[in-house]
Amino acid sequence: MNALTATGEALVLIGTFFYFLSALGLIRMPDVYNRMQTSTKSATLGSLGVMLGVGIWALGTDFGNVAWLTKTITIAIFLLLTNPISAHTLIRAAYKSGIPLWEGSVVDRYREHLESRKAEVEEAEKTPEEGGEE
Amino acid sequence: MLKRSLAILTLLIIGYWLAQGLAGVPFGQDRMLVGHYYLEHVKEQTGAVNAVTAIVVNYRGFDTLGEVTVLFIASTGVAALLWRKKKKRSAKTEGSVVLTTGTRLLVPFVILFGSYIFIHGHLTPGGGFPGGATIATGFLLLYMAFTTYEIPHRGFEKTEGIAGMSYVLVGLIGLGIGGYFLFDWIWQTWQLGTDNIGRLFSGGFIPIIYILIGIKVGTELSGIIDNMVKEEVSE
Repeated sequence: MNALTATGEALVLIGTFFYFLSALGLIRMPDVYNRMQTSTKSATLGSLGVMLGVGIWALGTDFGNVAWLTKTITIAIFLLLTNPISAHTLIRAAYKSGIPLWEGSVVDRYREHLESRKAEVEEAEKTPEEGGEE
Repeated sequence: MLKRSLAILTLLIIGYWLAQGLAGVPFGQDRMLVGHYYLEHVKEQTGAVNAVTAIVVNYRGFDTLGEVTVLFIASTGVAALLWRKKKKRSAKTEGSVVLTTGTRLLVPFVILFGSYIFIHGHLTPGGGFPGGATIATGFLLLYMAFTTYEIPHRGFEKTEGIAGMSYVLVGLIGLGIGGYFLFDWIWQTWQLGTDNIGRLFSGGFIPIIYILIGIKVGTELSGIIDNMVKEEVSE
């Protein structure tokens, strides 16, 4: 047991802890948006911890070499860049398909924005001299 | 209710019957008959480190040729079923800015990784089919993020046909040199890369065939996606 394996083990442990928190958030949270918020964030962080931990852990063992760390860092960067995009797309699709917010939600600026846009478009359609094609 | 319980009962009987059959199989014992031959001779006979790709492409190349044919027929069948004179994308909402920007950044890397998979088929897990499917995923991403994106049809269909024909051509060259179809002429006649086992330039004709299969599968699956997301335009 040297410093590298100890660091790796600690990182993997932190990562699995965040995985657990993300699964817990999936059960505990009241609506889709809160669930996505907890699960995506902590799952991304947990994966980063586990992957980097495995790479560093392998450096400290006698069978491991730098190739492990390179591969895990590549996968970690890929996951770090793609996970937020997929979470964003999922939440946006959920909102667009009309899934309601939690009843405790206070403010919904996006709906106000969409409604003001809609009102503007209707206003433009009502005035005949400026109304272009449909 | 009666239907469902009858179905469950039938499934249970079938499951018990299968379990009875499997109970006689001694798991964990060495029961390989031809497997030993493959594992012992794969390196000097094919030059590949990955025994699976060596078996799939080299020892049993006919199966792979059949699979490629099946995929080609599937792609042609989808195209024939959904054939219309005028077809257009019917999607109306473009993906959000985050999605389009992310796709634009990500697609080259997806295609690069797919190429990596099928070029290194004789060294790492994977091969032509996973690599080609990864490349098609890149094009699926483009289709989902942009409402107006379309693959360049003429180029794609020609590439697909040329890749498929080149596979048969490689086999026919083997027939001319070695006496039977899909004879590995690069390894057994030219002895190219014999002192290079485990590195990129080895493996006889496995990398060449997997590059061809990867290109073919990638273009084919992209073509299937293209056919399925389009709708008929009524004029």
